[in-house]
Amino acid sequence: MTPLSRRTLLRGALGAAAGLGLAGCSAPVISGLSTGHEKAGSLDYWNLFGGGDGVRMTQMLDTFRAANPQISLSAVTLAWGNPYYTKLALATLGDKPPDVAISHLTRMKTLVGSDLLEELHLDDLARYGITPDKISATAWQAGLVDGKAYAVPLDTHPFVMFYNTDICQQAGLLDPAGKLIPWDSPEKFTDAMQKAKGITKAYGGVVSINGDTSTPWRIFQSLYSQLGGETLADDGRKVVIDDAKATQVLTFLQGITAGGLFPANIDYQGAVATFANGQAGFYFQGEWEISTFQTAKMPFSMTLFPNLYGGAKYAVQADSHTLVIPKQPNVDAARLDRSLLLIKSMLDQSKTWAEGGHVPTWLPFRDSAEYQALTPQSNYAAAADGAVYDPPGWYSGSGSNFEIVTGSAIATVLGGQQSPADALAQMRDQLTNLATTASPI
Amino acid sequence: MTVAEVTMESVERRVKLFNRICAGVLIAFAILWILPLAWALDTALKPNGETTNTTWVIHNPTLDAFVRTLRDTDILRWFGASMIISSITAIGTIIVASLAAFALSRMRFRYRNVVFWCVLAGIMIPGQVLIVPWFREFDSLHLLNTYWAVSLPQIPTAIAVFIFKQFFDGLPRELEEVARVDGASFWRVYRRIIMPLARPAVAAVAIFTFVQSWNDLLWPLLVLSNPEIMTVPVGLATVQGSFGIRYADTMASAVLGAIPLVAVFLLFQRHIVEGIAGTGLKG
Amino acid sequence: MSTTETPVRPRAGAPTPPPKQKRPEHHGLPAAGFLAPFLLLYLLFVIGPALYGLLMSFFDTSLVRPGLGSFAGLGNYAEALQSADFWSSLWHTVWFTILTTPPLIVVALLLALLADRVKRGRWFFRLAFFAPYILPSAVVALIWIFIYTPGLGLLETGLGKIGITSPNWLGDPNWAMPSLAITTLWWTLGFNFVLYLAGLQEIPRDLYEASAMDGATPWQQVRAITIPMLGRTTTLVAVLQVIASLKVFDQMYLMTSGGPNFGTRSILELVYDEGFTNFRTGYAAALSMLFFIVVLAVSAVWFALVRRQEKEV
Repeated sequence: MTPLSRRTLLRGALGAAAGLGLAGCSAPVISGLSTGHEKAGSLDYWNLFGGGDGVRMTQMLDTFRAANPQISLSAVTLAWGNPYYTKLALATLGDKPPDVAISHLTRMKTLVGSDLLEELHLDDLARYGITPDKISATAWQAGLVDGKAYAVPLDTHPFVMFYNTDICQQAGLLDPAGKLIPWDSPEKFTDAMQKAKGITKAYGGVVSINGDTSTPWRIFQSLYSQLGGETLADDGRKVVIDDAKATQVLTFLQGITAGGLFPANIDYQGAVATFANGQAGFYFQGEWEISTFQTAKMPFSMTLFPNLYGGAKYAVQADSHTLVIPKQPNVDAARLDRSLLLIKSMLDQSKTWAEGGHVPTWLPFRDSAEYQALTPQSNYAAAADGAVYDPPGWYSGSGSNFEIVTGSAIATVLGGQQSPADALAQMRDQLTNLATTASPI
Repeated sequence: MTVAEVTMESVERRVKLFNRICAGVLIAFAILWILPLAWALDTALKPNGETTNTTWVIHNPTLDAFVRTLRDTDILRWFGASMIISSITAIGTIIVASLAAFALSRMRFRYRNVVFWCVLAGIMIPGQVLIVPWFREFDSLHLLNTYWAVSLPQIPTAIAVFIFKQFFDGLPRELEEVARVDGASFWRVYRRIIMPLARPAVAAVAIFTFVQSWNDLLWPLLVLSNPEIMTVPVGLATVQGSFGIRYADTMASAVLGAIPLVAVFLLFQRHIVEGIAGTGLKG
Repeated sequence: MSTTETPVRPRAGAPTPPPKQKRPEHHGLPAAGFLAPFLLLYLLFVIGPALYGLLMSFFDTSLVRPGLGSFAGLGNYAEALQSADFWSSLWHTVWFTILTTPPLIVVALLLALLADRVKRGRWFFRLAFFAPYILPSAVVALIWIFIYTPGLGLLETGLGKIGITSPNWLGDPNWAMPSLAITTLWWTLGFNFVLYLAGLQEIPRDLYEASAMDGATPWQQVRAITIPMLGRTTTLVAVLQVIASLKVFDQMYLMTSGGPNFGTRSILELVYDEGFTNFRTGYAAALSMLFFIVVLAVSAVWFALVRRQEKEV
């Protein structure tokens, strides 16, 4: 190529690139070069739902869009866990927060403490028909900070038990109506697993262990809180683990994998596959995996996580997804109205959301016959009332360092790599570290 | 044939065989290196349903993944943002660094040594060490989530000053001497004499700054939280879309993200390679 | 004329500067004008923040609270030096450096040696090896996460065809860091390759011809001529590599999120986590300072090495 034509080509290419880049983005260019420009009639919504939940959320958002053509809704999905909350905090600090965002109830407290959320005034909510009496009391009360509301709960998502109806039928674990006979002691649990294993010729049950800290925490916390145990107190400044109870639970968990009832070396996807393929009769996870098994067209049902220790008072690990409004740089009543409109729309579509397995907190739907008819989702609705949320603390909440620390210690016990005593010591040490660190909020 | 000639011939044959083996090994490695990008492109051309079969064969080739990515994500906006930020940074760096280097190279003033060593010290401070104070700084200036916040900290680059100074030092002085005697100002000398001659240095700094700015992740990740103004790396790293297990879409966004810089490389290959080689040889 | 501190290397063919005859002038004012833009930005965005960061490290500054927070003295430093997280991230960073630097030098040199022998098609090899270098880390991460995916990743399937079972590349605590190292090797080899190729071309051909006359095999030539003459390039490559490895962040953040269970978290990622996820900017500033000291130490070693080599030449 002669130098001249190459230069022309270069210039042309650069020009085209610049033009292409700038083509669809005059508004962002302005907003990128200056601060605080927002389009009229726009609404920004952030969530962390991927997979089946993501599909359902998209469906609900599309319904909102169809019903509200004058609002231009832009929804963004970010990676679950710490990355989501870090980005949300940075965006709010940087004066470009979304208008509405999803937040786990347990993480929302930290956001409130960091002064990153707008308070939701009851009269504003009432204008859109959102009143505390229409929301599940457990979730609503759990979300209040100093009596003020900052979040509207959308659902409660407890830890539940999936079971393969065919395998359980053959193992004689179902009652004449086809429902699982409940167990009220660890011995009955292991007995049932043994029977299921006899049918599958592989495993009785399965739970995700490798590369997953949330699930081991959840199964531990469910059993531990049935015993009445607590982990943190005083807003996370004190570690109050009851050694005896914790050891009891950890020993039990150690036993189920050591005895071959559960696989000891399996990750999240592997556990899903093991249950879907009928190699285990029982699967323990949050209810959101319902879509996976429905798509796999396998014979299954769901019920409450078994009450092995609790006796009268049922307890199970859970969290709630809530809708929050991050602190906005300017007061804009129209924007607030649009945000509340979106929140109400999400609540109104509780049925779609519940189909994804979540227990609705919107009472008009939860108490309806429609929800009762929705099985197996309605089987475990009681879990929402017995929901045990992660203890409050600036480093606590779903997907937080608290869960990473506890979950990884518990996973070593499930995986047979550490004894309950060692794992407990590890957990206590690391939690004490976190507890004694000065809180940044 | 003489004994010497026969020996030479067998040596030549041995060398030729050896060269062929070398070429073979090299080609094998080159193919290995191309595989990942080729695989990404291959997957991007499949419909999502086919991506779970790990095979190079595409039964139903389609551009749908690219269309979806271009339509449903903000990737075009990210291109624009990256383009603007990298351009501002490159232009800014060239202007600011060449001006400073000109002063250090061509002017006499009392504290020149001090200034020079201060600038040199800057090479020792990597930007990564400064992300925490930078965040506070731009937060208090209310400049977070703007292109300026990404670009400005990258402009005062000591290395660029160094490169220009080295280059200027190597330029002959006669031209300016004459001009200065005729009463030309320094600005004139800079603009009319020195900079036109500095094209190689400008090209090298421009390209390197542009590429480095485009590919930067850590600082833009902290600054840009609004998906509409994210750069390509930040956008790809942050926004999941509702694709999680849609591998064709993910690969399409990766391929699209790669295209601008691969184009830059193809157009400016020679400059890039010369630039690297130059820095290397200068040590 | 001016006396420069750094020795000016005259370009080939450039005339030597004229003898000092004029009386020295002082160009203080115009110099200030030329230096002002750079120095202003430098002060605002390098020196200023560096000092502010140092200041912050002595306080319990929070991301979400204004001001400096309560005075902590050396508390943040003490916490860092006693924290298992700090030492393990430092170790992860060092381990990453150890895993990547030798291959990035040796393989790059090997390929450059091979490419040097091949007369035609050099542009193809340059493209093949260097193209990855030009890509943003996010693109590299997306591609390699897919390649490493259990079950349907290219690597697992490919190795399976020759009878090797793959571990869970990114999920297995023993394989996560090596996986990141392999990705990094693919990504950044091209830079060293180009450097070495240029260095090889500087070596005079007659040295090789002379040794060939003496019956030296190619391997002997490499050992006796090539490698010693590439000494300076190798030092440069090694030091650049080590310093770049110390600053690693992208691969960990994008591909493993520092996991599994923080097993691959690098020191910069720890700064990010502590400062921006945990909101503890004072502590993160202290970590940054400690990180800076490590980088300084390595740079100082480089400086000493280069000085020694220059003296030898």
